[in-house]
Order: sequence, then C-alpha cells, then structure tokens
Amino acid sequence: MNQLTRAIRQEAVRLLTEDLVDVVIGFQAGTLALKTQPAFITRPEEAERLVHNGFGQNNLASYVTRRPPQERIGIVCRGCESRALRVLVSEHQHAREDLYLIGVPCAGIIDWHKIQHQAELEPEQFANVSRAVEEDDEVVITLAGKEHRFARADVIHDSCQRCADPNPVGADVVLGDTVPGVSSEQVWASVLDFEDLASEERYAYFVQESERCIRCYACREACPMCYCTECFVDHNFPRWLESMVTPSGTQAWHIVRAFHQTGRCASCGACERACPMDIKMTYLTDKLNYDMLQQYGFEIGASDDAKPPFAAFTLDDQNRFVR
Amino acid sequence: MSNTWRPRIVVFQCQYSLFSAADRDWMDTQLPSNVKLIKVPCSGRISPLFVLNAIQGGADGVLINGCVPEKCHFKEGNLGARRQLDELRSFLSHLGMEQERIRFAWIDVTERGRIQRELASLEETLQVLGHSERLATRALQLQGEAA
Repeated sequence: MNQLTRAIRQEAVRLLTEDLVDVVIGFQAGTLALKTQPAFITRPEEAERLVHNGFGQNNLASYVTRRPPQERIGIVCRGCESRALRVLVSEHQHAREDLYLIGVPCAGIIDWHKIQHQAELEPEQFANVSRAVEEDDEVVITLAGKEHRFARADVIHDSCQRCADPNPVGADVVLGDTVPGVSSEQVWASVLDFEDLASEERYAYFVQESERCIRCYACREACPMCYCTECFVDHNFPRWLESMVTPSGTQAWHIVRAFHQTGRCASCGACERACPMDIKMTYLTDKLNYDMLQQYGFEIGASDDAKPPFAAFTLDDQNRFVR
Repeated sequence: MSNTWRPRIVVFQCQYSLFSAADRDWMDTQLPSNVKLIKVPCSGRISPLFVLNAIQGGADGVLINGCVPEKCHFKEGNLGARRQLDELRSFLSHLGMEQERIRFAWIDVTERGRIQRELASLEETLQVLGHSERLATRALQLQGEAA
C-alpha cells in the first residue's frame, strides 16, 4: 500500500466520522487488474477499499452531477478533476460548500490502450492480465505468469503527456508532493502541428477517426461536462443529426460533442480512454481550448469566478469573420 | 460541372436586420431558387447546430445576417452569436472545411441593397469553390429523397 492510498483512507475516515460529508468518491480495485473502478464510500469502515494508483481511467468529477443535489460530497481529485469541478461549480451544478476536494497530485493516468498495443496483445488476452503494478518509473503487468515491463512515460495517456497542471486547483486539502507540469509549448504542440497540415489531410484524419465511431456514447458518459438530462443526439423532434452509424451522423456527433465543450473541457482525456474503438478525440477539444485562450484569454479552471467564454461576450471581441 | 450549376445557399436572417421595405420584400418574394431563407428572431437564436444542419443538409454555403453591434433589438444577442459562430467557423475549418463557405454579415439600417450584394458575392465565391464535399451529407439527401 502506498503512502497516498494510506493518506486518502485516513482523510476519508476523518471526513465521514466527523460528518463533514455524506459520501466520499474515490477509486477502488476493480475486477480487471488494469482498471481501477470508482468507489462511493458512505461509512468510515468502508474507507479501506479506497486505493490510489495510475490505473483510474475515469474522471470522478462526472459522478458529482449524478448524485443528489444537496448531498455533501468528498471527492478525491487529480489536476484535471479539480479543474472540471471548478467548471461544474461555476455552472451551478453543485454548491462549492457541499464539496470537499481531497486533492492528489497526479503523475499521469496509465492508458490501457497503449499497454495493449505495446505488448501486442489481443483484447481477449488482455482481459486475463492477473496483476498490474507501478514500480517507480515502470509499469509491470503479469499475464499468464509472464511479466511485461513498460516505461511509465511511454504508457501514460496522451492528455497526461501534455498536462500543464497535474496538481489540483482549489482543493480543500492536498495530499502528497506537487508534480511538475509541462511547458505551454508542449501543451499546445499537438494542436499547432495539426493546424500545420493541409486542409485535405486534416479532413482525412477527421474522417478516419470519426467514421470508426459506433455511436455507443461512452465518451459522453465518461465526460464530467456532459450532464444534460437530454442530449442533442437524443432529440427526435427536431432530429439534429442522423442517429444511425452513417458518415454524416458520426461526423456531426464528433463536431457538436466537442463544440459543446468549448471553454469547458478540462482536458482529462476520459472520453478517449472510454472509447471502445480507440478513436482520438482530444485533438478536437484541445483546439477549442486553444482558441478560447488565444481569443479571450480564457483558461479552464484558472479561477473560481471566471465566466464561461460563451456566456461572457463583449462589444470589444475580435472581429475575425463578421463583415 | 456544367455552367448552369448554381450553389445552394442557406440564409439565416435576423428579422430586424433589414430595415428597408424594398429589401424585405425582395427577400420574401424574389429570392433566387437556389437560396433558402430562414428567418430567426435574432442572430443570437442561431445555434451552431442550425449551421451544421444546413451544411449536412446539402448547402454549399451559409450566409448569416444580423444587426450591427449596439443596434440589436435584444441588446446583445448578436454579440453572443459572434462568439459562438466565429468559433464554429474556425473549428470547421480546423477540420478541413473551407471556411469561405460560412459568412456572417452585419447589416446596418442605412445599408439598403447590401443583402443582394452579399448574396451575389457569396455565390461568386462558391462558384469558384464548387460543390461542397467536405462534411458528409445526410444519407436521405444523397439518395435525392429530399432536396
């Protein structure tokens, strides 16, 4: 058991025994070795289920909007989760005083897609991984009695590789030591590289990614920002886009899903990790975040009282295309 | 492509943006057959979904017109529209669609006859660009079941 796990359990026990919160949301060991699963702890004696490691694929902030509105929630949050919670609070999805943020600096989330590709495993073999642990800078998985080792830096998720701030913002308590983020050039390098491609290449990439979509909406369910009770894809009058798996339907879903995250996306990459088809999606939301930063100087999760950019239009906005 | 091809244009028009009765009358009665007019209460009503729907419904170009800043009937609907639609256009061009296909014109009360010029100028641009092939069209439209 690592230091952080112990600290998180202690904090959860304290919060629940002092009756400061009704539930603590964190991670517990799951059925699959590589996928730690979300845990909802309501009694102090259950707190020993909580663990902390790099295998937590979910963004825990997405559960806040699914809990009863008046509930007092203690939530274990990494950098991206704390930014997502800030956006949710600014959108009045939960009162800040009813949230207790247990901040945990994050060293990056391990992407099981990458491990599967690097170990050249079939998906069905992959379900038989019996043990997965982090050892310093390495990730070790055991499959059929054989050990596979990976350098941690190679298998953390793309979004984590370009995470500017892995440390939680506005947390009530921070456990563990701060982790350095990457420079802003590295954060936006992928967006700028994509922009440099010719428009045919960009469109070809978009088509290649979006048309593999099977419309399972796992990306929507994984996203902390997708909390609408009725999503635009589920409307049938008017029907905004084709609900079948057609080129136009999947393209529209990818465009509008991303567009609804403009100035809100915390860049956690939970959508990509949730995708069963291994579709890249963060290149869409990263571009929108980049534009919001360039146009309106808006950074997601940078402050508690910043208005979302689409709610804060002014007369002096730049005129990029109006004639 | 034959010379008679004319691009399909969808116009989203704020109902307050055309002050001149002659212009309004022209839009209502004499619009060319390749132009579809959709009137909205304010340019702030135009959701990015409307624009995307027009493009996926087979439009080659979209013209959005609204009132100039500070002259909006609803005070600031057009400013909200500017942020959103500007970002949508930038985003679609990031995905490889030609950004010239979407145009936003702010028409002042004194600019009589400007709407015709804007439409002609957009049509000229679209004649050069040709039929829109980026962003897949809805299946029904491809089969020619609905125009």
